Amino acid sequence: MIRSLRALAIIGVCLAFTGVLASSIWTISGNPAPVDLAQLLSENLDRSGVEHPVTAVLLNFRSYDTLLEIGVLVIAGIAGISMAKTASLEDPQLCTSDSLLYALQRWFVPLMLVLAGYLLWAGADRPGGAFQAGAVLAATGVLMRLGGSPMAFLRPGLLLRLGLALGFTVFLLVAVASAIGGEAFLAYPPGMTKTLIVVIESVLTLSIAMVLLALFVSAPVNDAEDPEEGSSS
Amino acid sequence: MTLWLMAGLLFTPLAWAVLTLLMNFAWGRLVTWGGIVVQVLVSLGLWLIVSRDGGFYYGLGGWQAPLGIELRVDGLAVTFVLLTAVVASACGLHAGVYIDPDKPWHRYFWPLFWFLWAGLNAVWLGGDLFNLYVGLELISLSAVGLVALGGKAGALRASIRYLLAALLGSLAYLLGVALIYGQFGTLSIAGVVFRLEEHAVPAGSGLALALMVTGLALKTALFPLHRWLPPAHGIAKSPVSALLSALVVKASFYIAARLWLELGEPLGSLAAAQLVGLLGSAAVVWGSWLACRQLELKQVVAYSSVAQIGYLFLLFPLTYSVSESVSLQAQQGVTLQVISHALAKAAMFLAAGNLILATGSARVDALTGVSRFLPFSLFSFGLAGVSLMSLPPSGGFAAKWLLLQASLGSGQWWWLLVLLAGGLLSAAYVFRIYRASFLESLETDEFYHPPRSLEVIPMVLALMAIGLGLVSAEVLSVMALPFEEEGSP
Repeated sequence: MIRSLRALAIIGVCLAFTGVLASSIWTISGNPAPVDLAQLLSENLDRSGVEHPVTAVLLNFRSYDTLLEIGVLVIAGIAGISMAKTASLEDPQLCTSDSLLYALQRWFVPLMLVLAGYLLWAGADRPGGAFQAGAVLAATGVLMRLGGSPMAFLRPGLLLRLGLALGFTVFLLVAVASAIGGEAFLAYPPGMTKTLIVVIESVLTLSIAMVLLALFVSAPVNDAEDPEEGSSS
Repeated sequence: MTLWLMAGLLFTPLAWAVLTLLMNFAWGRLVTWGGIVVQVLVSLGLWLIVSRDGGFYYGLGGWQAPLGIELRVDGLAVTFVLLTAVVASACGLHAGVYIDPDKPWHRYFWPLFWFLWAGLNAVWLGGDLFNLYVGLELISLSAVGLVALGGKAGALRASIRYLLAALLGSLAYLLGVALIYGQFGTLSIAGVVFRLEEHAVPAGSGLALALMVTGLALKTALFPLHRWLPPAHGIAKSPVSALLSALVVKASFYIAARLWLELGEPLGSLAAAQLVGLLGSAAVVWGSWLACRQLELKQVVAYSSVAQIGYLFLLFPLTYSVSESVSLQAQQGVTLQVISHALAKAAMFLAAGNLILATGSARVDALTGVSRFLPFSLFSFGLAGVSLMSLPPSGGFAAKWLLLQASLGSGQWWWLLVLLAGGLLSAAYVFRIYRASFLESLETDEFYHPPRSLEVIPMVLALMAIGLGLVSAEVLSVMALPFEEEGSP
């Protein structure tokens, strides 16, 4: 009785919240915004080095946000591998020995690699870019791991940590180097904008894939645990 | 010059996070010492520049708002940057000795520590609603990673709970940001304020502010949304608990306070302001009461954080439709409360860590006899307690004195009762720890003596919390500096 009353109350609150939110969105969509950011964006697009507005926002106008977001991904990767269960992240017990999967993999992996490359390149003038390409690359890695392909770079050694940090490091170096020329931070020197954005996007793709893959393969709980502070063990 | 100071502030923590990721714990500690020196110098330099020339806007990537992201470097921001430098270096130095370097997973402590620091700096300086969200994410995720680091099931449970609460808070905030963006077409706080001054308040923007403040209140652990905090802060390693209580919860409060001060007058309402103040008062009383009843030392300190956070939310009623001078008093009082609580609570958690290390037990009653063996750490704990109880001349006293004057000045005398009750209850839980430590048991006492450096660090922080009351006028004067508005949109 009490449980069903509680459920009813929760449903009521959710419905009321949805109603208020919907009416608020309805009023907002009725009035045009006083600042037309899309207009401003298209006026400055030819100075950004890329043709696609989303990529221009992510890697030029609001590149500071993107830099910090990559930092968030690296943190997630670090937190994941810090809880890894075994010394090696490629646990043979977790592999399937499915011959069908193995056969499919030989077809899929090259295709997916090409697709990842295409998505990365497409980011310049249509939807695509480092995040999408990195996700496809990570999915390729997951498939390879399930099929039992050896992936030595996934051991939690220096190589894995280098891979996690590579994209972030290059982005950070570009950010600091751009200031040496006297410009503001993250202001790409004129003429090199396109090259720098392509370089950053490519290494970001690798690192994003690495973070996602590391999160997939690192098992949840650490066997050798710290005793809690002050507990007797 | 300013360019390089900003670079040092924003980018060295990120660079140090990458560097320490590639090393083991001992090397990471060495490199961290260097980074701490850089950060302290840079924060001090920026603070001096702002206190000499006033604040300014800093556009990143050479783009001005609303297209790009602007940082707002004002007196309050640089004060908090300097506070972060002091508290985080103390916690970093303490952690270097406190944490066992031989456990392989502890190598991940330093990168998470530096990412946390980077996120804090990003939030203090942020002037863009979405950029503040990214800063909050940096802080939350690295804080969760630090709580979970190498922990058993209990720590994992606490950190998952923390993660879910933090994510829910972030999502509520993000929804509010989306509504604001839909309404005003800009993400810059200054831009939104500019529109509100020029035009009538559009319908439906109150909901955006309510969503953002609610989400941030959840991340700040305002009563009754506080239940994730004590397990997470209690179970983390002591330097991590100190960072979480002293700085991490302040970051989300800082954003909520900035939003309220800028947008509260046009978008808020008297009922909402009084409600937030009421919840803050409930947090003061309920948190202190629970702190008196905890059996474990760090749980006492964690519940004390819940109570002390409550005071901060008195800012909302004390700045809504009151006179300019009362509002200023309330803002100054809350700023002092943030600073003194950060220093005192960091000192308290670090001292509690030393006491736990010495007695080998997390329980309060295990402190029996410790007063003769570890007087130094116990004294730091007590000095920090003096600031929490808000006895003169501590920073806590100056903060509550200003809040008291603001409540009287605005005719809202009922907050006075909260200030008095909170002070008495905090005395009760601090003296309870002291009572346990002065008891003598007949059994032979066996205490481990922590290294001297571990004892010095909380003492320095506690002395700063006490001394803050003496220099509060100087600290507050930096906030009142003129702000160069030409960069604003």
